[in-house]
Amino acid sequence: MLSEEQMQKRITTGCDDLDTILGGGIHCKEVTEVGGVPGIGKTQLGIQLAVNVQIPVEYGGLGGKAVYIDTEGSFMVERAYQVAEGCIMDTLDKFGHHRKVILDCQEQMQPNSFLANIFYFRICSYTEQIAVINYLQKFLAEQKDVKIIIIDSVTFHFRQDFDDLALRTRVLCGMSLKLMELTKTYNLAVVLLNQVTTKFTEGSFQLTLALGDSWSHACTNRVILYWNGNERHAYIDKSPSLRSASAPFSVTSKGIRNATSQCKRVRMM
Amino acid sequence: MLDPHPTSFLSQRRLENGKDAMVPIKPESPLNLPTQKLSLGCPVLDRLVRGGLPVGSVTELAGESGTGKSQICLQLLLAALRPPSLGGLSAASLYIHSEFPFPLRRLRRLLTPFAPSSVVPTPLDHIFVRPAHSPDDLLSLLTAVDALLARPPSALPVRLLVVDSIAALFRSEFDNTPADLKRRSSLFFKIAAKLKEQARRFEAVVVVTNQVVDVVGGSESYGSSGNAIRVGNYGSLWSSGRRVCPALGLSWANCINTRIFLSRSDDIVRNERALVDEESDDRVHGTVVRTRRKMEMVFAPHLPEASCEFVIVSEGVFGVEAQSEKSETPSPTSQI
Repeated sequence: MLSEEQMQKRITTGCDDLDTILGGGIHCKEVTEVGGVPGIGKTQLGIQLAVNVQIPVEYGGLGGKAVYIDTEGSFMVERAYQVAEGCIMDTLDKFGHHRKVILDCQEQMQPNSFLANIFYFRICSYTEQIAVINYLQKFLAEQKDVKIIIIDSVTFHFRQDFDDLALRTRVLCGMSLKLMELTKTYNLAVVLLNQVTTKFTEGSFQLTLALGDSWSHACTNRVILYWNGNERHAYIDKSPSLRSASAPFSVTSKGIRNATSQCKRVRMM
Repeated sequence: MLDPHPTSFLSQRRLENGKDAMVPIKPESPLNLPTQKLSLGCPVLDRLVRGGLPVGSVTELAGESGTGKSQICLQLLLAALRPPSLGGLSAASLYIHSEFPFPLRRLRRLLTPFAPSSVVPTPLDHIFVRPAHSPDDLLSLLTAVDALLARPPSALPVRLLVVDSIAALFRSEFDNTPADLKRRSSLFFKIAAKLKEQARRFEAVVVVTNQVVDVVGGSESYGSSGNAIRVGNYGSLWSSGRRVCPALGLSWANCINTRIFLSRSDDIVRNERALVDEESDDRVHGTVVRTRRKMEMVFAPHLPEASCEFVIVSEGVFGVEAQSEKSETPSPTSQI
């Protein structure tokens, strides 16, 4: 019996092993939180997903568009262009022999077309962040092609001092509930990139996701990116359906790709 | 769901037609985003950063004392004055310093043979200098800076903002208790949010310098109580033979877009060649000490891992092309 879940498409990350531990890729109708230290590749993954969501249906993708909410100024157009170019090149390579498909998708398979399909919002305060999420309700009703919303990063503007901490918690919870609603209503994926911090618990400092206590119970899945020696890894920290497992990945000039090491890839935890 | 302010539902602050305005929220196309960069003043260094430091972004220069951070900042103040065709921004700069005094003499030295900045007759008129003694000082200053950015005193818009250094502002006021660290961390985010907002609204380049601290204890894994949590492309950073990491911890690292690490190391080499300045000659053992300076990309959203050697001379900071062992390094007139 093919359930609705099985018919849902996944958005590939560009790395086979990472896709594997994610159950095929990032799921629509779900909120996935991705956390990690600076420089580990959160923004790289965000940009990769904003590009990969656009892979045409003819090439096995969703043929969708992306909303990218940039709260930190990390989105660099030149990098997005590189990643789009890499995705197009590799996709065409894979499907090289299907001439008719290539001709049909000619116009779409250009880096500038991919960039044009990213709806970009740059926000500079927590009030702007809430305003944009409210705005999206109307926006998504008109733009039916959007299949992913990426927020990079979701907690930056909430990490300043808030006079009223209860207000902050309410705002964050409200925001995550609203995002959950959007995934269900519009059948799209929401990916929230988050920073890590050290928390003093049980007598020592532990690495933990920022503001985790306040709100991230509303996320369906949680993925942590981390360094394992000199290699980048990801592990499933929380998920109702995915097993705890880790996988290596790399950040190349083309974007997120398989790790280059030869050792055993996906590890169950 | 809470809507904290009625107008914020519909609008954001944006720079439209050069003016600061509240505009209705609407998405932008990445194709229309500003992509300008500010040259570092040397083609070799510019290659390392793919053209220069980007507008709308906060770049950190981290390194121990004497590695060239302030020198590069001074170079950037002048580079900003050049037109875009020469890698500049045709812009004035604001230099906020927390170490005293402001290096005016070094700045003047950079000016003299400086042909390209003669596009502007009196460059020093377009460089605004303000002191900051504490984090609260900096925050008040940045709030006042909004007015400066919106209505610049000189004919040129202010599009380079330098904070030299962020670490010095936090030296004395905070203890190592969890409560104080949290208070300090909140200030980082407040300052960074303000800097990023100004970078974005005024299409400015923001540069912040930072010091380094020695790496202590712990392993590079979760649950470490040391400060050795790996951040960026390098498992460890070295300077003057010591393992170091940029100050202000993981919190501050989360506040910047790009981190560049400057280091120096004194190599002892066997020398049969003529003596070059900056090398002390140990004739008894036939060795000399040569100072090598390196610039490394620790993390950046648009740049791969890369590094470059450089020198500091009276004319400024210049990158050195990677060369084979046998060939001579360029011999500048006087190294600093």
